[in-house]
Amino acid sequence: MERPWPLTDLPEARRVHLDVREEIRAGREPFIRIMTAVKALGADQVLVLRAPFEPLPLYEVLGRRGFAHWTERADPDDWSVWFFRDAEPVSAPTPGPATPARDARVVLDVRGLEPPHPMVRVLQAAERLPLGSVLEVRHERRPIFLYPQLDERGFDHETDEPEPGLVRILIRRREARA
Amino acid sequence: MRRHPLLPLGYFACAAVAFLLAAMGSVWLASDMAGHYYHPRLLALTHLVTLGWITVAIMGASYQLVPVVLERPIWSERLAGWQLAVMAVAVAGMVSHFALGTGLGLASAAGLLAVGIALHLLNVGLTFRRVTRWTFTARLILLGHGGLTLTTLFGVTLAFNRVWRFLPDDFFPILHAHLLLALFGWVAPMVLGVSARIYPMFLLTPEPSLTVSRVQLWSLTLGVPSVVLGVMDRPPLLALGGFALALTAGSHAASILDMVRGRKRPQLDWSVRFVVTATAFLLPAAVVGLGLAVNFLAGPRPALAFAVLLLGGWISLTIVGMMLKVVPFLVWSRVYGPRAGREPVPTLAQLCWPRAESLAYALLVSGIGLLGATVWLGDVVWIRGAGAVVALGALAFATALARILGHLRSGGVVHVEAHAR
Repeated sequence: MERPWPLTDLPEARRVHLDVREEIRAGREPFIRIMTAVKALGADQVLVLRAPFEPLPLYEVLGRRGFAHWTERADPDDWSVWFFRDAEPVSAPTPGPATPARDARVVLDVRGLEPPHPMVRVLQAAERLPLGSVLEVRHERRPIFLYPQLDERGFDHETDEPEPGLVRILIRRREARA
Repeated sequence: MRRHPLLPLGYFACAAVAFLLAAMGSVWLASDMAGHYYHPRLLALTHLVTLGWITVAIMGASYQLVPVVLERPIWSERLAGWQLAVMAVAVAGMVSHFALGTGLGLASAAGLLAVGIALHLLNVGLTFRRVTRWTFTARLILLGHGGLTLTTLFGVTLAFNRVWRFLPDDFFPILHAHLLLALFGWVAPMVLGVSARIYPMFLLTPEPSLTVSRVQLWSLTLGVPSVVLGVMDRPPLLALGGFALALTAGSHAASILDMVRGRKRPQLDWSVRFVVTATAFLLPAAVVGLGLAVNFLAGPRPALAFAVLLLGGWISLTIVGMMLKVVPFLVWSRVYGPRAGREPVPTLAQLCWPRAESLAYALLVSGIGLLGATVWLGDVVWIRGAGAVVALGALAFATALARILGHLRSGGVVHVEAHAR
């Protein structure tokens, strides 16, 4: 799966690595260590967590704190999950001003979440979306229940399926007509 | 596209009332259940279960799940609302006229029911017209509605025959065909099709493989006409159809087991436990069903036990499990969906009442298992005892549902205040 925008060309200095595989194998609970690392993250830093399984409960816990995630699996017992701050407009990696531009794009991957968490995460991100920016949602299916909420809240949206198992929804704030 | 969660909730509420009444009816009709199944009050009870509970629940689920599965809105929600009113009157009419034994009243209620079902078929048919991707689930939903059409035709024929007497004296083959069409032509494809799409969504697991889906689809397509023709006029086909349907059941059970094993969601909530246990009931049901199909078993006792295991064990427990997942989602969508992203909203788990759900699980699973065994034995006292356990389980289930539905009345105010504190 393609790496989301906030993680492309991310310098090593902005990555905080935390490997909890041995801890879990030894039967110890790594939750406090993970949360300590999350609290210590700088505003532009990303936590790269390595675990022997996909840490699904963490997605929800950190999601509530505004973190999105992107997951890689090297082996069946070697997972790397990148936690990054969600819904912060991140410009495309092209030269330009640091402030969000009209064409800024926010990527939000909600695959692997149980309903209705995808809807909550998307609506949270959409509500924070500046005019002119685009929220790119990556989903496993067409979110039939989300569309009416977006329509009522004044968002335009278009959906396509660039590859099997990936549904992409582009969401923009509807511009006021003159 | 505006969707109204209240529409399927109306269907589910009516279905839950029918389930509770049917469960209480099993206590009242214990002595009838110890006799032959062709008894006016038992026919009333059977139709309360198959129409009032199972069919109304599946129709409600269709109006919630068909748009998700087909990724298309339902053709007309207003028509679906009218259909519920027609169905409610028709089912009440059929059940009461079966119990009273009045032919003309029964025929009229059956005619009205046929109108309600025709409205459903029209609505779903026009929704399907816009479908471009024929998935496993879409094919099974279509197959199920074909089965519903045939079940209705057989049922209306039997009801009209009570007034005008045009069938041969031995109409039991048509009666058996009607029941088998309802079970395997209508309900089974709907349960198989919907579970292949919905369980992965909530268990966070891949959908069943193409091979497993094909085995289910083709064995069902072969099995249903074979058993129907077998009971009507071609006995050798009955055994063939029985084995084909046993293959469908085995393949479905294996796919559910695969989904549960491969799930990313570690905890099994009560709704999933209901569904998994419901699937386990397929094993004894398949054994008894095959015994009946190959003439190893015969008579009303094993036939009644088969009906309890299939209608009560597999289908009812599956519907209970699905409702405990779908109803909170619909209530959440209605009450908290418009607030999501703007203010803190509860999770689905916070809408549920696990204690009542666990009680319902213990009582319904043990009660239905016991009822299956006791109707086979034909002991009135034990049947009444098992019926009482089922009735208490249905009451616990209805209470759990009512508590979730209570969020609609409070508008979520109480919960959000608690959340803020």
